[in-house]
Amino acid sequence: MIEAKEINKFYGKGESRFQVLKNITLTIRDGDFTVILGASGSGKSTLLNTLSSLEHPDSGNIFYDKTDITKLSESDLTKLRRDDIGFIFQQYYLLPNMNVDKNVKMGAALAKNKDYRTIIDAVGLSGKLRKYPGELSGGEQQRVSVARALAKNPKVLFLDEPTGALDEETGRQVLDYICTLQKKYGFTIVMVTHNVNIAEMADTVIKMNSGKISEIYSNEIRKTAYEIGW
Amino acid sequence: MKFEKPLMRLDGEKMLIGIKDIAKLFAISIVTCCAAFVCALFLNYNIDIVGIKDKITNPQGIIMYNAQVASGKVVAGVSGGCLVVTTVVLLIFYVKNYIDSHGKELGILKALGYSEINIARRFWVFGISVLIGTVIGYAAAAVYMPTFYDIQNDMELLPEMQPEFHSFLTFSLIAFPTVFFMLLSVLYAFFKMKHPVLGLLRESQNIKIRKSKGKKNDEKDMPFLTDLKKNTIRSRKILVFFVGFSAFCFSSMTQMSMSMKELSSESFSFMMISIGLILAFMTLLMSLSSVVKSNTKTIAMMKVFGYSQKECSSSVLYGYRPVSYVGFAVGTVYQYMLLKIVVDVIFADFENMPEFHFNFKALGISLIAFLAAYEIIIYCYSRKISRQSVKSIMLE
Ligand SMILES: Nc1ncnc2c1ncn2[C@@H]1O[C@H](COP(=O)(O)OP(=O)(O)OP(=O)(O)O)[C@@H](O)[C@H]1O
Ligand SMILES: [Mg+2]
Repeated sequence: MIEAKEINKFYGKGESRFQVLKNITLTIRDGDFTVILGASGSGKSTLLNTLSSLEHPDSGNIFYDKTDITKLSESDLTKLRRDDIGFIFQQYYLLPNMNVDKNVKMGAALAKNKDYRTIIDAVGLSGKLRKYPGELSGGEQQRVSVARALAKNPKVLFLDEPTGALDEETGRQVLDYICTLQKKYGFTIVMVTHNVNIAEMADTVIKMNSGKISEIYSNEIRKTAYEIGW
Repeated sequence: MKFEKPLMRLDGEKMLIGIKDIAKLFAISIVTCCAAFVCALFLNYNIDIVGIKDKITNPQGIIMYNAQVASGKVVAGVSGGCLVVTTVVLLIFYVKNYIDSHGKELGILKALGYSEINIARRFWVFGISVLIGTVIGYAAAAVYMPTFYDIQNDMELLPEMQPEFHSFLTFSLIAFPTVFFMLLSVLYAFFKMKHPVLGLLRESQNIKIRKSKGKKNDEKDMPFLTDLKKNTIRSRKILVFFVGFSAFCFSSMTQMSMSMKELSSESFSFMMISIGLILAFMTLLMSLSSVVKSNTKTIAMMKVFGYSQKECSSSVLYGYRPVSYVGFAVGTVYQYMLLKIVVDVIFADFENMPEFHFNFKALGISLIAFLAAYEIIIYCYSRKISRQSVKSIMLE
């Protein structure tokens, strides 16, 4: 379980200092699919980065079960990221000098996952194993970044707009695959999106508005990637 | 339309490099300062001493004169053969690497519609850094010169000598390097801009992608970190050379300046050693900072995934270690050969000149200094990376 308690985060100094996250308190249950919705600039990515230990809140605590990760040392954080967390960035961030296969291997190696090729297959990139990120389209890069995070067998998967660069059909396939894996392994998903329809796939929806949580609600039934509108 | 231009110029200057970034290029200034100082001092002295040749009458004076000219040649030969050449090569590397790693910004500006020459000309600041360095170095030499002349003639065997001003020295030590590096940087950037915009933007420009041919099998079983290490080195060969070369400079400069102690008067051996050490350290700093800069993103990404600091360093930053050892060894041999040849040739006619031996003490000190400097620099940079947020690194 992930619990955030009264997180505040500021950017900038002096005059230009402003608050990106305002008193955020929330709970994410194990195995849940949580979606964070909100307008551009409302602080979704910042919240995701803070929850996933990539950024430090200025105040407040974040508990993973009973551990407060805001108090962990750098080496404990490394261990946490290594064992528990998978991350998919809005901007992909692949290693430019490694090909598709090796980029995914970067995640797989940490989990000693030998079957990572099946994940590459599932995101539809088996034909591009030897291509370098510079030779891929935006959507293909995004799928590599999805495969890289999944190959790590994370306990919690953080996704920042994982379908932002994908067309409807590919987007559905990728989401469906992520959900299939979730059913199989039971990991927790926290996903940021603009797309209101995708929220219907989630257990819990958190709506953000200029740094604050404006609404949290649960869906009775989760729709599949093929049942939602796009 | 009218107010668009200044706005655009502001943007462009922020992205690449401007006069404000001179502080970041302090390494260039320090290196050129040292080189200009040494060259100015000894070249000026050598020119002046030749000018008083006719005034020397006593036989002791003539012997002294010959010895001074000879040791002046040793120092000039050594500083010419080592300090200057290496400094120049090093700076060329540095500039090339700097511009290469800013290919993306070049691409964006080009895509925005800036003309090639308009972008390229911003790189003239490299010339300014060289100018600052050489002016300070030359000025320091001018200030120190009277003292230096006195020390050289402390037995008063030579007639009284005053430092003369030689304008062509000023020109070749200040104006020439400044203009050279200014043109070099601007022209290199200009030719780089000839690449298509997309190539620049995708950053694949500087990464030479090498497709393995037929070797797929042994690659498959390689652990990721080993693979990464190999790839990092392979994809930027120029950096490998840079690191090797800086280790070469480090080893030759420090050992040479320590060995000169026995060949030239005691008085300036301290100065030579300090300059040798400063230069050596700056070269290493420049090459390692380039290594770190080109690999920061990879390290940041690895940390997000939970690779430890140690794994990141050992697979990315320490991959260059063997090359640096090779460079160090070559530098040791090089400085020995150079000094030996210079001494043999110049002192051939002298009877009581000390024979030149390999200086093991200098090797030991230099090696220890090198290992310590290398590890400390890498360590400091790793620390710096861990303190930055992933986002800020990736967007750089
Ligand atoms: N490093 C930073 N320094 C200063 N301000 C920042 C920084 N990062 C983000 N911001 C600001 O914080 C706010 C929230 O940014 P964030 O990236 O979290 O938005 P977002 O909700 O993810 O938007 P989008 O949907 O467009 O990705 C924005 O107004 C942004 O300008
Ligand atoms: Mg965002």
